[in-house]
Amino acid sequence: MDQFTQTAWLIPLFPFAAFLLLTALGRSYRRAGVLIGSIGSLAALVMSLLVFFERLDPDAVDYSDGFKWIDLGVYVLRIGFEVTNLNALMLVIVTAVSFLVNVYSAGYMKKDERITVFYGYVALFTFAMLGLVLSDNMLVFYIFWELVGVCSFLLVGFWYAKPAARAAAKKAFIVTRIGDAGLLLGVIVLFWYMPGHALDFSSIHNVFSEGQTGAITMSITTSIALLLFMGVIGKSGQFPLHVWLPDAMEGPTPISALIHAATMVAAGVFLLARTFDIFEASAAAMHTVAYLGGFTAIFAATVALAQNDIKRILAYSTISQLGYMVMAMGLGSMTGGIFHLFTHAFFKALLFLAAGSIIHAVHTQNIQEMGGLGSKMRITTWTFAIGALSLSGIPPFSGFWSKDLILAFALDENPFLFVIGLVAAFCTALYMSRLFFIVFMGKSRLQQQAQVRESSKVMTIPLIVLAVLSVGAGFVETPWNGWLGGWLTGGGEEVHASAAAIVASIAVGVLGIYVGWLMFGKGSIERGAAAARMPWLANLLERQYYMNEFYNLMIVKPVRGLGKGLYAFDEYVIGGAVRLIGFTSVAGGRVLTRMNNGQAQVYGLTAVIGLLVIIAAIVGRRFW
Amino acid sequence: MLPSYLTMAAILFCIGLYGALVKRNAVIVLLSIELMLNAVNLNLVAFSKYGVVPSLTGQVFALFTITVAAAEAAVGVAVLIALFRARGTVNLDEFDEMRR
Amino acid sequence: MTDLTDLPILSIILVTPLIGLLVVLLLPKHRNRWLQTAAIIATLIPLVLSFWLYADYDKHQGGSTYEETATWVEVPLNKETQASNGVMSYTMEFQYELGIDGLSLPLIILTTLITAMAAFASIHVKKRWKAFYVWFLLLETGVLGAFMARDLFLFFIFFEITLISMYFLIGIWGYFNRERAANQFVIYNGLGSAIMLIAFILLVNTAGFHIDQDTSSFIYSGSYADIARNLADPSAWVNLVPDQAGGMNPFHMSEKMHTVIFLLLVVAFGIKLPILPFHTWMLKVHNEAHPAIVMIHSGILLKMGAYGLIRFGIVLFPEQAKDWAVVLASLGLANLLYGALIAFRQTELKLVLAYSSISHMGIVLLGLAAFNEIGLQGAVFQLVSHGLISALLFLIVGSLYERTKTTTLSELGGLARSMPFISGVLLAGGLASLGLPGMSGFVGEFLSLLGLFDSQPWIAGFAVIGVILTAVYLLRAVLKTTFGPIDERYLAVKDARLIEALPMIVLLAFILLLGCYPSVLTDTLQYSVDGLFKPIFSLRMGG
Repeated sequence: MDQFTQTAWLIPLFPFAAFLLLTALGRSYRRAGVLIGSIGSLAALVMSLLVFFERLDPDAVDYSDGFKWIDLGVYVLRIGFEVTNLNALMLVIVTAVSFLVNVYSAGYMKKDERITVFYGYVALFTFAMLGLVLSDNMLVFYIFWELVGVCSFLLVGFWYAKPAARAAAKKAFIVTRIGDAGLLLGVIVLFWYMPGHALDFSSIHNVFSEGQTGAITMSITTSIALLLFMGVIGKSGQFPLHVWLPDAMEGPTPISALIHAATMVAAGVFLLARTFDIFEASAAAMHTVAYLGGFTAIFAATVALAQNDIKRILAYSTISQLGYMVMAMGLGSMTGGIFHLFTHAFFKALLFLAAGSIIHAVHTQNIQEMGGLGSKMRITTWTFAIGALSLSGIPPFSGFWSKDLILAFALDENPFLFVIGLVAAFCTALYMSRLFFIVFMGKSRLQQQAQVRESSKVMTIPLIVLAVLSVGAGFVETPWNGWLGGWLTGGGEEVHASAAAIVASIAVGVLGIYVGWLMFGKGSIERGAAAARMPWLANLLERQYYMNEFYNLMIVKPVRGLGKGLYAFDEYVIGGAVRLIGFTSVAGGRVLTRMNNGQAQVYGLTAVIGLLVIIAAIVGRRFW
Repeated sequence: MLPSYLTMAAILFCIGLYGALVKRNAVIVLLSIELMLNAVNLNLVAFSKYGVVPSLTGQVFALFTITVAAAEAAVGVAVLIALFRARGTVNLDEFDEMRR
Repeated sequence: MTDLTDLPILSIILVTPLIGLLVVLLLPKHRNRWLQTAAIIATLIPLVLSFWLYADYDKHQGGSTYEETATWVEVPLNKETQASNGVMSYTMEFQYELGIDGLSLPLIILTTLITAMAAFASIHVKKRWKAFYVWFLLLETGVLGAFMARDLFLFFIFFEITLISMYFLIGIWGYFNRERAANQFVIYNGLGSAIMLIAFILLVNTAGFHIDQDTSSFIYSGSYADIARNLADPSAWVNLVPDQAGGMNPFHMSEKMHTVIFLLLVVAFGIKLPILPFHTWMLKVHNEAHPAIVMIHSGILLKMGAYGLIRFGIVLFPEQAKDWAVVLASLGLANLLYGALIAFRQTELKLVLAYSSISHMGIVLLGLAAFNEIGLQGAVFQLVSHGLISALLFLIVGSLYERTKTTTLSELGGLARSMPFISGVLLAGGLASLGLPGMSGFVGEFLSLLGLFDSQPWIAGFAVIGVILTAVYLLRAVLKTTFGPIDERYLAVKDARLIEALPMIVLLAFILLLGCYPSVLTDTLQYSVDGLFKPIFSLRMGG
């Protein structure tokens, strides 16, 4: 039976109802607000799990339904939802992380006077994200895609009084908007070239998966794919539009965990998965996706090596891992991309929440000011360690399995990207061990020592749950068990066991941690050695390859200049022309007044001239 | 024949027009207006004699014009005298009452 | 529900504000509260009636059942003329002819809605209340009449009424430079009206006639239906070259003349819209007029330009419109990008919004230039949506100015702290304006671009840049106002009162409704677009 599947449209409505309730109640009901938000997401989680378990049945068929949105005459745009295995998986990821973040925030945001507003925004985000996951066509997808963007904007700018938060929120919105513009254009192009103007995913699947049947030419397919990919670049923080994600860390930490690690930024990867057939139909698009993903993975991992803000390190790590997922997609392994998305959601949310727990305790984000926290915050330390090991790709933690799947695939498809992936994995292990050893080991460098305590239960329990998930989530797809891939794609269970990949990926992970331990734990390699030898490199990494400065110089300033120039044009040229015309008529009036001097002879002369003009006009017409 | 009369009248009219528009002395302006009227009379008579449909109407009209012109000259000169008494000049440049 | 068609519902809607005007005239002039109450009631009644009309409107049948006709002026022209075709007499008739269709109905509702909300916003008016409400109500009648009129001269008269009442509303109750703004407004628009009048006279002279079979009299009229029918009919006199009509045909309108009239109309309504080089007047109006007036101006009056352009320009001259579509689209693109780029550098909130109006009207032009059903629907949707959004934004500007005494961006900041409600609505309005899905702005923008892509893909591609720029300047302005550290001066400022909050909530509710379920508007639009533009689309298919 698929009764839950058919009512899956209810899932987003739970958090939406919570949002409405929270907005209506106002700020005064603090406790009730927390409760409403959490119950909304819990209901969504329960419902999602029910749907998910229904989908585990191998006979489950995809289900979709909807209603008319706009009648365009030539075609009716519809709003609808669709339940597939992929969607069901995403539902569980989103609602699970959302629920845990809701619980966690009850502790983290306890002292904030706008906590109900916060819960309202989170509920709205959960609604939008679930809507995005369930959407059955590109238009609905785009609508929710923008809505999650706006929620992200609101939450990044949650502490609106801080100028940095304001700037970050604006940047997050505008930079992703650049990608979204591409996505919008992609949807428009798709609309006109699809047979019957159908925008729903199943039609897209049917049209593109049959190979090029001549309906849509190769160049159009490629351009559609690349336009859609622009949206992915913006939302999932791929190079060169990744700049907003590190800045977005100005938002509250639970938000970084929910939106900027686990769910929204993964929406780009989800989009790739949903429109995978379009990409597969165009080799050029696939290559672009793969190489850009690979480049982002290594690019962001190197930047993370030199950052000192704990959330920034994690943000660059997120960018890098998203690069992994995108690369997997580009290599043709949808399973790999989604699997990594799945595991990453848990361990990165865990890392962020643990980081939040630390920040909550020590009131700083600079890792150089921390240290020796391991003995004071045991739960946080252990859960963080699990997350870090998972991220570094150490078996049996979940990150290892998903990363290994991608690397095994890369080894088959494209050895170059395999090497890139390995290097990025090494960097990942290195910066995570650096982070871990600096924060938790060694001597404390804090200003106020005494106050550091483990966070309250409401914050640590989500950490423990996520830690369990981070360990366990990897076993759905292992080199000898292809269950997830089979379930997702509906094909057979393929097994990508590759001893070389396993060995290599374990080796770089361990090596990265070992080097990190030598440098930052044991101290046998001088910390500043590398930086001292190549100061330019250290500087380059610390300043994030000067991307912000580059954009400022190449885009922001010229646009400002253009605006200023056009304003001057508007003011002086167009406004000037208007003033000139006005002046001319006033001056003309003056001249004519002068002629009106009361002298009969002048009037007579004028009359004669007028007569002559009329005669000339009448006579002249004959010759004209 | 007709063209020469018309040419004559046109020349006369232009002289009159020039005088009426340019001369400062009001008496000369009045005389110029008479000149223009006479040019018209010449035309009327010429057409009544040599026109496509010759008839007396033109000549009758000319007589009327002469009468009206005489009356006009009388009124004009009377106004002129009144003005001269009030202002002590017949220079047209100094009359711009219409401006106010 | 009673059958609305028995009542002259259009006239009733049209006259209610006038009755309100009379009531206001009878009230004592120092009683602000009474005057405002009367004005609000006088605007609420048409609002209710227009919603009733919407509920009653049958989209399949169109608005033909609501039409009202009465001969208003009848001038006999040389009766003795005995023409060869047996026509006995010539008459000139001006009709009082009202009608609605799916194009004007949404705009009528928009008008009644925004005027009512503006009446609420008029609490901030400080002086000469009586005169204010008199002009205000006259303005509403003018706008409603312009949207209902089915006779060219009637349209012109209503159009002029709006001009005059607007002139006084700007000139008396505006800010510092109000008189200059009012003068520029009236001169610019007067010029536009003059050009429009020329075009109308040319139209009436050539295409505006029908033959009354009973009295076999030849009737000149400004009736829109006659003109549209004659222009569309290839065998009508207006379209016959003299040789075909037996030697002489004074009604013939050459191809060149078609183009000339079309361009005259584009310029006339382009000034109102405003299309690019004709926009300077509206900046001044936005900046100097009272916010309640700007709500009406930006929310409705600009739409009259677009409405005229559609009804008289594009529907009457589809071939010319098609030939000039590229030009219209380029102008639209120029409006969109130019307005957005300049708005980005403005230091005055009102001017940001003014340039944003220019930018958004560019989208309307783009939708029109798309020249297909989707684009036209998008254009009209964008009209309604921008009307609501800009009215909302200026409503907020009015409330802000009351509290801060300035709307210069550099002096504002952090207002979310002391006025969370107003700031929230401002943010929502900004997001709606930048085309956030779920709000009305997105639908208009999306449909316009979608339609345009089919006919002019490259321009549509460039127009997408506008989507980014819009976000840039609107967020800059909104965030500068509401986010960031608060100035101490504004710490003690109170949030919106109920009477201020009410119109904000109503407008926002409509924006959300249209954004979430656009069918409430597009369904009525759909059939009218079909009917009105059938000749256009057949043209499109044919050539």
